[in-house]
Amino acid sequence: MKGAGAIEVTGLRKVFHQTGTGEAVVALERLDFRVEQGEMIAIVGQTGCGKSTFLNLLIGLDRPTEGRIAVGGRAPYDDFDHFRGILAAVFQQDRLLPWRTAIDNVRLPLELLGRQPDEQLGRARAWLERLGLGRFERAYPHELSGGMRQRVALARAFVIEPTLLLADEAFGHLDEVTAAALRQTFVELARTEGTTAVLVTHQLEEAIDMGGRVLVFGRPGRLLADIDVRAWPATAVAALRADIQRMLQDNTGDPRLPRPAKERA
Amino acid sequence: MKKDEAIASETVEALEARMPFRFPREMVVGLLVLAAAWQVLSLFVPPFIVPGWERIFKSLVTLRMDFVLVTLARVVAALVVSFALGLGLAVLMYSSTPIERYGRPLVRLLMAVPVVCWILFAVLWFRWVEFRIAFVLVVVCAPVFLVDILDAMRGVSRDLRDMLRSFRPTRAQLFTKLVLPATLPAMLTSWKINLSLAIRVVTIAELVGAVTGIGYGLVVAQELFSVAEVFAWTLILVVLLFVAEAVLTRVEERVLRWRV
Repeated sequence: MKGAGAIEVTGLRKVFHQTGTGEAVVALERLDFRVEQGEMIAIVGQTGCGKSTFLNLLIGLDRPTEGRIAVGGRAPYDDFDHFRGILAAVFQQDRLLPWRTAIDNVRLPLELLGRQPDEQLGRARAWLERLGLGRFERAYPHELSGGMRQRVALARAFVIEPTLLLADEAFGHLDEVTAAALRQTFVELARTEGTTAVLVTHQLEEAIDMGGRVLVFGRPGRLLADIDVRAWPATAVAALRADIQRMLQDNTGDPRLPRPAKERA
Repeated sequence: MKKDEAIASETVEALEARMPFRFPREMVVGLLVLAAAWQVLSLFVPPFIVPGWERIFKSLVTLRMDFVLVTLARVVAALVVSFALGLGLAVLMYSSTPIERYGRPLVRLLMAVPVVCWILFAVLWFRWVEFRIAFVLVVVCAPVFLVDILDAMRGVSRDLRDMLRSFRPTRAQLFTKLVLPATLPAMLTSWKINLSLAIRVVTIAELVGAVTGIGYGLVVAQELFSVAEVFAWTLILVVLLFVAEAVLTRVEERVLRWRV
């Protein structure tokens, strides 16, 4: 479906009230941007800049205080059930159900969608094979290494062939080699499947390595820059990295950086 | 073999190694030492206070074993009813905050009432002996099941809840795919606690009005002033509890084999 995975963020604001004191804490401050269907973006920012809050709003676990967030024209919180089989997420911890084997974890979303058991098993097995875990389909999560568990979580997300795929610090806790390999798998799979992908990370390297668009979040939850890494020549990427780093440290936007993204638009 | 594969195969072997029956050497040695000390003590103390093992075993063979089955049946039936009731009420309280708010204090009240009081209420309220015993057992065990299960349901990881919600389950799916299996370990622990509780409570309940069961057997032994018989019944109760706990532990190992 054309545009089904396009994300529109308009004047998005999220305010939390502290328990006890009732004091208002602004987590997101008037965000405005658009992500096209099939596009891949990385959201980078320091801890506490509202990345995870944004992701929760995108998943539909929380409601915006002001403004609107829409995927394919529908609000994930208000039209919660509409996103059945459309949206999938991979989280920082694998969040596998410990009482289910690898294959049973992967088939879980298909069970929720009411697919036939044969189809569930066939598709779950195919995805485990694709991610190199064919031999471990009967293993329980505690019998697998961190990298293997995260691959199972990836298979669980991809098995429903989602239109929108979200990853929240999904590779940050793994060792560098495993994280890089999984990141590459994530990018390749998202591209092959034509999925709109949003990767939230606090690691600048990870955001740039995705090779797509990078949204730089500052505190409190505001957009400092919207950069298309592909528009930057390979020789300038090191300078770009340094500029984003400085931007994150100063928590201010840099008028030079959004330029390539605007030119692309 | 790759590192990942090595980790997986090692842990599978470790898991399998844990599964076969392991002889409880420490427990057996401890019990034998206690039995020996008992026998030595019986040589220095009159048999109407501490009877020797020979006297206890002589009494043991004369006991009515059908009483053991009767008591066991009462315990199992009451536990099944208590579990169903506890689970049902836990689900109800879990799905409705107002019901939980009003229900929790009542459950606490029930749990605060001593067993002896429940037995007296049962005698005063009900005529049928079996109903009296069942009432006491259920009123004592059901709240324990309820509180344990409800707490476990409330304690289900928010991370797992959010993960599942991202796939848009129905309420029933959220419950059956996440909440119920996540609560299973607490349910089994609650069964163990209640089993031990029920075996102790049923004996006291049978003391009042029953004409069958271990409790009745104890009353008869006391009336005959047969200390050896009292010890024999006690021995049977302890063995019954040990066997029942061992069975539950095996069930737990099977059902919760996914645990680290």
